[in-house]
Amino acid sequence: MTRQLITLIVNGDRYQVPVAPCETLLDVIRDRVALTGTKRGCTSGACGVCTVQGDDGRAVLSCLALAIEWDNRPVTTIEGVAGGDELHPVQKAFLEYGAVQCGACTPGLIMTAKALLDENPDPDEEAINEALAGALCRCTGHIKVKIAVREAIKAMAADAAPEDGHGIQEG
Amino acid sequence: MQLPPFAYHRPASLDEALARLSTAGDSVAALGGGTDLLINLKLRLERPRALVSVRDLPELAGVSLDASGTLRIGAGERLTDLAAHPLIVVPYPGLAQAIRAVGSQHVRNMATLGGNLCLPTRCWYTNQSENWRGSQLPCWKTDGQVCHVIKTAPNCRAIHSADSVPALISLGARVLLRSSQGERELLLADFYRDDGIENNVLAPGELITAVLVPPARVRSTFVKAAARTGLDYGYATLAGALTGSNRVPKSLLLVAGSVGTMPLVLQKPAQIILAEGLNEAGIEAAADAVRDDLGEVTNLFTPPGYKKRLMRGLVRRVLHELRRQKLPAAD
Ligand SMILES: Cc1cc2nc3c(=O)[nH]c(=O)nc-3n(C[C@H](O)[C@H](O)[C@H](O)COP(=O)(O)OP(=O)(O)OC[C@H]3O[C@@H](n4cnc5c(N)ncnc54)[C@H](O)[C@@H]3O)c2cc1C
Ligand code: FES
Ligand code: FES
Repeated sequence: MTRQLITLIVNGDRYQVPVAPCETLLDVIRDRVALTGTKRGCTSGACGVCTVQGDDGRAVLSCLALAIEWDNRPVTTIEGVAGGDELHPVQKAFLEYGAVQCGACTPGLIMTAKALLDENPDPDEEAINEALAGALCRCTGHIKVKIAVREAIKAMAADAAPEDGHGIQEG
Repeated sequence: MQLPPFAYHRPASLDEALARLSTAGDSVAALGGGTDLLINLKLRLERPRALVSVRDLPELAGVSLDASGTLRIGAGERLTDLAAHPLIVVPYPGLAQAIRAVGSQHVRNMATLGGNLCLPTRCWYTNQSENWRGSQLPCWKTDGQVCHVIKTAPNCRAIHSADSVPALISLGARVLLRSSQGERELLLADFYRDDGIENNVLAPGELITAVLVPPARVRSTFVKAAARTGLDYGYATLAGALTGSNRVPKSLLLVAGSVGTMPLVLQKPAQIILAEGLNEAGIEAAADAVRDDLGEVTNLFTPPGYKKRLMRGLVRRVLHELRRQKLPAAD
């Protein structure tokens, strides 16, 4: 099988990897780049644990993406979500509101929620449900996850507001 | 599950893609978003020697209106973009709903319209790994002599469940097909065949380049009944498109999905509404009549008799929604 050298850009880091056409983005991220935060579940698009964020910011199922199609296209995985030691608001909310049990689904759910909030910082109930429907948790169910996402939305809105916390000044 | 080996091509133009697809005939497959094809490769249901990526071909891109008001949707467009596109959402709410009903948002971010139109039929047997399938006799699709869905069937009776299709057929959509031999255009309703294996009329080496939705001021809607909203294939779906008023409807197309090997245009319920008007009594009569139209229903993924009862409910829901809906504003 002929391999082709591609440049994978994961969380801003560049990796030169020879890949065969039949290698998925998931396989390469986990087994060659050795970032194992992205999980391998159903490998057929139905569980969302392999979710990463593509170059357009949208949630991508890495188990159904060919690595060869991601040459030079930036990808964000769960390892790239925190800023150094400072967790992303979605990560903080998952911790604080107990949206985690075994944790197998957590990277996929956090990437899904982050992709949603990057595109729409103030999603309504329907938009949250629509996004989360593609990433499953078989331990906690989606209730705590939804609580965490809603709290993350509030925290991010508060962070984005001006220092005095009063929004636009009257005048 | 791992993918089997294959060669991969990413042509820069449609002509180059068509040349690639025509040289090796059947053993080359077009790759759209890959959200179904790659699974079928993992399941070892298909074994193409090479994949030709068509998703980003410039000739398959774009959503536009021509001078006559016909909407052209490029076959490479992603479903997420289409479900929110103003040229679709405003005039054709039923189509937007149907596109949004495909899989999950994750899937729609990757999936193309062309891939949805060419989605192979599915059943509980073929939707399993090769290893699992080995525990039972092979079926028509896997080179055997039996259909596990309808035991007595002389051919494959797997289900057609591409959600955009009933909505597009209800709107009278046409498809543009291109091969290295030339171009042809046909009604999407004529694109499908009543066979779970040879499910459409696409010739080897042929691609869908675009879908054309004729101009019409219609009321339209789509409903889907599934185990889990937002991820699962439908138990049954129904699209409806209506012109004229509730009192004097001019045309009505009701198209069911996930009930058989191809989308089904419901004749009797539509005739009843056209004769009686879109009113309470007409809707009840139409819902009662749907049973006769369904004929042999593939009770795949549902208990026997369930789909017929379900369709009755879907007919009611679609007709009530059409009755309530306001005609999209003329521009
Ligand atoms: C978890 C999950 C749930 C799903 N649920 C649904 C659902 O509810 N409803 C539904 O309709 N689908 C569903 N799907 C199936 C699939 O994701 C969609 O049908 C999708 O639209 C397929 O598009 P694609 O671009 O990914 O196709 P691909 O997988 O790339 O291709 C599918 C087929 O179309 C052919 N093809 C692709 N593009 C063209 C073209 N331009 N011309 C000719 N042939 C072409 C390919 O060769 C292949 O045979 C689901 C998939 C998953 C993983
Ligand atoms: S592993 Fe990708 S969706 Fe389940
Ligand atoms: S915490 Fe176990 S699957 Fe979600």
